[in-house]
Amino acid sequence: MDRLLRITTKVYSSKIMRIIQDTLKMMFPIMLLGSFAEVIKICFLTPTGFMASIFKITDWLPYYRGIAWVMVVTFHCTIDMMALYGAFGMAHFTAKMYGEKTSIAGAVGLMAFLIISFQPTDTGIPNFNSRLMSQGMLFSLFVGYFCGRVTAALVNPKKDELFQMIKPVSVVIVFSAITNVLLGFMGKLDAPTYVASFVTQHTQSNALLYVLGMGVLTNFLSWIAFGGPFVNSPTFNDAPSLANLNAALKAGSSWNVPFKFTDTTLYHSFADFGGTGVILALIIAILIFSKKQNNRSVSKWSIFPAIFNSHYSMMLGIPILFNPIFLIPFIFAPLINMSIAALLLSIRWIPAAAYPVPSGTPGPLIAFIGTNGNWLALILGIILIALDVMIYMPFVKLADRTSEEAGNEDEEI
Amino acid sequence: MKMKKFKKWIWTIIGVVLSFVLIFMSLAWSRENVSDLMKWHNSKMSPVIMIPGSSATVNRFDSLVKKLNNGKKNPHSLLKVKVTNDDKLHFTGQIRQGDNEPIIVVGFENNHDGYSNIKQQARRFNIAFKALSNEYKFNNFKAIGHSNGGLIYTAFLEKYYSQYSSRIEIKKLMTIGSPYNFNEKSVHHKTQMLSDFIDDRKKLPSNLDVYVVAGTETYNSDGLVPLGSVMAGKYIYQGRVKHYTTVSVSGSDAQHSDLPQNNQIIDLINRYILDSEQQNMRNNRNTPNLNRK
Repeated sequence: MDRLLRITTKVYSSKIMRIIQDTLKMMFPIMLLGSFAEVIKICFLTPTGFMASIFKITDWLPYYRGIAWVMVVTFHCTIDMMALYGAFGMAHFTAKMYGEKTSIAGAVGLMAFLIISFQPTDTGIPNFNSRLMSQGMLFSLFVGYFCGRVTAALVNPKKDELFQMIKPVSVVIVFSAITNVLLGFMGKLDAPTYVASFVTQHTQSNALLYVLGMGVLTNFLSWIAFGGPFVNSPTFNDAPSLANLNAALKAGSSWNVPFKFTDTTLYHSFADFGGTGVILALIIAILIFSKKQNNRSVSKWSIFPAIFNSHYSMMLGIPILFNPIFLIPFIFAPLINMSIAALLLSIRWIPAAAYPVPSGTPGPLIAFIGTNGNWLALILGIILIALDVMIYMPFVKLADRTSEEAGNEDEEI
Repeated sequence: MKMKKFKKWIWTIIGVVLSFVLIFMSLAWSRENVSDLMKWHNSKMSPVIMIPGSSATVNRFDSLVKKLNNGKKNPHSLLKVKVTNDDKLHFTGQIRQGDNEPIIVVGFENNHDGYSNIKQQARRFNIAFKALSNEYKFNNFKAIGHSNGGLIYTAFLEKYYSQYSSRIEIKKLMTIGSPYNFNEKSVHHKTQMLSDFIDDRKKLPSNLDVYVVAGTETYNSDGLVPLGSVMAGKYIYQGRVKHYTTVSVSGSDAQHSDLPQNNQIIDLINRYILDSEQQNMRNNRNTPNLNRK
């Protein structure tokens, strides 16, 4: 534990880490409100959403289309374009760290990322690649850092010449254009369908290991701000889910489904409470154990989005992204949840989650609805959350100690 | 300090109450949803949905249905749905209780020719299809399109069908004299519609049986539609769907507008599109609620 503390303190005192921290802090308020909009849109105002389904909100709320549209716009321009803000902030704060002309650096970072993400699409009309915009934050941080360094290196802050900006801007344009073309060559790997085909083609134990491995990978990739194989919410359209649903409908219950270990039955049902890495448990752990005011208020604000599985505000606000302290529980809590659930599934204590679940269903209720109201599945969900709070506890306390040792020097933006 | 503790308790109680409300509401929702899905899944109904061609009304298939029902013990009931220009549905006729293979005809007030109209008719067909599937909860159906009706089906399958594909299966599609390339005789001149259809052929369901029927009055036309235009359907369907069969029919009633009354075509529909009655009986005997895939 002490070693982890030392590593963390060391990492946090490095220049690049401070830049990342500043960027995340800049993004936090925007993404927090964005995640509110996301939750309201997807859970409350979309007919297939959780709150909309169970309270029939879209049937009685007047002007719901108008409200939903405002939420769509807000969500689309914040969380759905997260990487854009990352590129701006990273370039801005890098230039601030290494030089002086900072405002132009932010704009250069923005430009670079826009150039890179403008890609040809299937429809034939090129557009900004939505995947890169929403899940390519790690990449955008690199781009922003590069732009910041280039601007800082090529601009002499003592001279107040407008035209010396031409140099960094042209360098960045050339580099972004090349990156754009290189990205265009890289094929798009469609991970969810790939997972689905693996599950159907292999034996149950192989499928189990595979799902566990992919879950770990997803959590790790989220931790470095990069979309993983399971980031998409369950669609129930992939082959194993459909086969499970059909079997369950035929038999009248989901005890004997052909594919017990899939991303739906394990990962989405038991390891995704509050978003990747069982964020809901972290929020509870912080509210109970942490004394650090900043973390407590971030957690309080994040309760609402996290109940409906939107984790962005916690990722940025605590932050969890690139934070060595939280890496271990962030990967292990979901892994333990999945293993326990797999064990209970295989000894037939709980049925598999096979029925459709509306989007944005609160974590512990996913398995409950997915099994059409199996009480043991609900209780298991609650027990797992309690267990995860225990897993997070020592790390929350450790995080409190780090900020004491770092002396709260980087509290202000 | 006391105040703070009090506040904490209030929040905890609110949280617990809200959780219980959510748990019970979602349980109720889930039960209802699953029983709905079960109805769907166990539904025995497998309608034949027909779309007439341009300038034709929902009555276009009346004589076809009459001929199909000729001498059958359990005649197919006929429901007609007309979609008016304000996207509203108007029903005539009804589905007899216990009829597992009714015939539903969907027609349009705007029944004009032309690609833009066909796109609009496909959108309106989707409205009717959604209403029908919600009302009758069938999990599979068979499709017949005469003339432009076949084009509307193709547009529907490529653009709208994917939202249903997980619960409603289209088993068979028969297009009768459908001009996939409008009036062009040769595929060297592809119309915009044909190239759009070919571009989106990936979205066609892969487990579908397709029968493309052409009428031939002369060696290369049914009097209205060139044979080459009907046969261009292979560039859309062949190799993409499970089976693709073309049939050309000649003799009496092989003129384009007579095709729906053509006895050979009625024979083909009986043989390839409708479920055979024997099969129905056998399935009914084995299990009461069998999912007929």
